[in-house]
Amino acid sequence: MKDLYRGTLVRLSDESPEVLAKAFAKWNQDSEQHRLADDDPAQLWSEKKLKEFIEKRAENNSKSFRFSIRTLEDDKLIGGVGLWVASWTHSEAWMGISIGDHDYWGRGYGTEAVRLILQYGFLELNLRRISLGLHAYNERALKSYEKTGFKMEGRMRGEGWRDGVHYDSLWMGILREEWLEPQGTQP
Amino acid sequence: MKDLFKGELVRLSAFDPEELAKAYTGWTRDSELTRLFDAGASALHSAKAGKDFFEKMVKEDGSANHFFSIRKLDDNRLLGDINLDVINQWGSRDSFVGLGIGDRNDWGKGYGTDAMKIILRFAFAELNLRRVSLSVFEYNPRAIRSYEKVGFQHEGRQRGALLRDGKRWDMLYMGILAEDWKEQNHG
Repeated sequence: MKDLYRGTLVRLSDESPEVLAKAFAKWNQDSEQHRLADDDPAQLWSEKKLKEFIEKRAENNSKSFRFSIRTLEDDKLIGGVGLWVASWTHSEAWMGISIGDHDYWGRGYGTEAVRLILQYGFLELNLRRISLGLHAYNERALKSYEKTGFKMEGRMRGEGWRDGVHYDSLWMGILREEWLEPQGTQP
Repeated sequence: MKDLFKGELVRLSAFDPEELAKAYTGWTRDSELTRLFDAGASALHSAKAGKDFFEKMVKEDGSANHFFSIRKLDDNRLLGDINLDVINQWGSRDSFVGLGIGDRNDWGKGYGTDAMKIILRFAFAELNLRRVSLSVFEYNPRAIRSYEKVGFQHEGRQRGALLRDGKRWDMLYMGILAEDWKEQNHG
């Protein structure tokens, strides 16, 4: 069996709250990173507040599978990725990813982290489908999701409002068999 | 000005956790009801458990989530409930609506459609929201027709998001914008 956590550019890791809070505090200083990843208003949180937030969300994790992303080359912490099981009954989960460090945007690190989390979702959690949402203005993410096999499933008209412009939210999804087929694995 | 809470067949009334919990204990003996409005696994709850659940729900999201009961205009009978959850107050001013008509004998008679018209007027004329969203299951064509009738447009289709009776069904997402509503109602 192969190592589920390791690709060719990055590996999935788990970080202690202190390490993560420090990285978040650095990444959050750039509002663009937040506005690509989230629909809440951008905010600046102290390292202490972030650490408490991270510790608190870890308490309730029976349906959350969160990982950090580290580069294989120099073991640098560059972002996070996770799955949130919406329903075990229907075997469905939502995926979220953020590369906090700008230097690693557009270079395939995020795409590989998505591939790893899909592999984890379908081979380890045995999910039947994985969904995600993104802002229509996040073209880089869209390309990456298309590359990893997600299909466009919805467009919520005017779901966001930033910089005085109403923009759409996009929803994408991938089914188990769509993911398994290119891997040459039987469903 | 007309009475915002009154329609042609039904009216919205105050949400009473005790009254509704008691009614739902009866209505949910029919598993089809829960399967039509909730993606979770069907379950049976006592009136006490239902009351606690509703009270907690109102207490926790009461400020942004507007809960109402639905009553028949001519004899004041309790038919079901409807809620409008404002999910984004500062940006998109988007909301999510949920609706249930409890007794199978009251389905298909226009009560839900009328309640939905009232809640849209409340959303756009009273709360001044920009969007109302909803999700509905592919196997609920009666609801889909009703939502289309009051002006919701199809925006998304999460393929195979539901697994019921061994078959996969899509989860549909619909939305209506304030300008769509204004055009249809005053245009």
